[in-house]
Amino acid sequence: MRLDRSKDWWVKRAIAEGTATVGAGLLARDPVSEVDQRVVPLEESRIAFGRFINMMRRQHGLSIEELADATKVDTSELLVIEEDLHYVPGPRTVYQLARMFDVPQPRLMQLAGLTAANDAGLAEEAVRFAARSEAVHKLTPEENAALAAFVVVLSQQEPKRPT
Amino acid sequence: MVDVSTIYLVAGDTVEAVEAELRDTIEEPQLVDWQTQWQPALIETLRALAQRGVPMAKWPQSWHWDWRQKRAGVAGLLAYPGFSVVAQGVTQGLAQIDLTRSARAPEHAGKPFAYVDYLEVAPWNRSDLGKTPRLKGVGTALLSATVALSDQEGFRGRIGLHSLPQADDFYRRKGLTDLGPDAQYQGLRYFEMSEDHARAFLEEE
Repeated sequence: MRLDRSKDWWVKRAIAEGTATVGAGLLARDPVSEVDQRVVPLEESRIAFGRFINMMRRQHGLSIEELADATKVDTSELLVIEEDLHYVPGPRTVYQLARMFDVPQPRLMQLAGLTAANDAGLAEEAVRFAARSEAVHKLTPEENAALAAFVVVLSQQEPKRPT
Repeated sequence: MVDVSTIYLVAGDTVEAVEAELRDTIEEPQLVDWQTQWQPALIETLRALAQRGVPMAKWPQSWHWDWRQKRAGVAGLLAYPGFSVVAQGVTQGLAQIDLTRSARAPEHAGKPFAYVDYLEVAPWNRSDLGKTPRLKGVGTALLSATVALSDQEGFRGRIGLHSLPQADDFYRRKGLTDLGPDAQYQGLRYFEMSEDHARAFLEEE
């Protein structure tokens, strides 16, 4: 089968592709690592992740829609992240959120339950943070302080990496 | 007999036109490219991504990408009708089509169509991994070929596919109908293109 179109026709469509990466079918999917599948996230971390995103968003004065726009993450996914403790977001989503809120991505991955916790410290801090925060109301000065303290913890403690 | 159409892609950085071949089959050289060039490039990128978020204690000794399944699947491509895009001396994209299935969307439910079993662009043409793609338009070309094949088969351009998450928006933009996540395909969203959209999609200037 031949498909004959002008050079212009092809070029116009190629440009219209934009930044999309076109793919379809299970076979086209990236292979998954066996390690990922074994990770069982800590419940506390996941609570803290949802709260963290919720509070950072509010601190930045963003609606869920505005955050979705800024991070190119689906509105529906952000809603689920903030409200469903059992939801584990994809690496891309966490990456986008880490960039948006300027926190180290590996730590946020750990918080989101995407990678195994390799230090008890973060999990402990996450529990304390989750316990101090309230998911729905306006950000109180106390919450602001808790959030600021947690961002410090997130940014300071790099996971230990065996050589 | 392989039919070869001359098509054009654009360079990801300069947007200059790049001549390419659209071949209406997948042959041995394409599978060799997949194995010797795509696979190492993708492993490299996935490793870089993983390094940003995976505890290093687990890396790299216990890190096994599940390539067995993928390699076996790609090796099977020779047996099916497919398309390949070749440019700059290497395979830039592959697609495999299944003509035995039928459509689900209400407007054409039960009618035969071209189902895209597999569509992938070379790792260096991806833009979801934080790099500028070497070539743009490969996926669009493969999709165009599929719609044209559907038309030629008498299916009026109807096609269906399970989208990868990074491609969902693209298919919506192209007017495909989003029929939602499909539990039987690991939650990939299922899309179909109607006759009307197919006509618009292949329309000449």
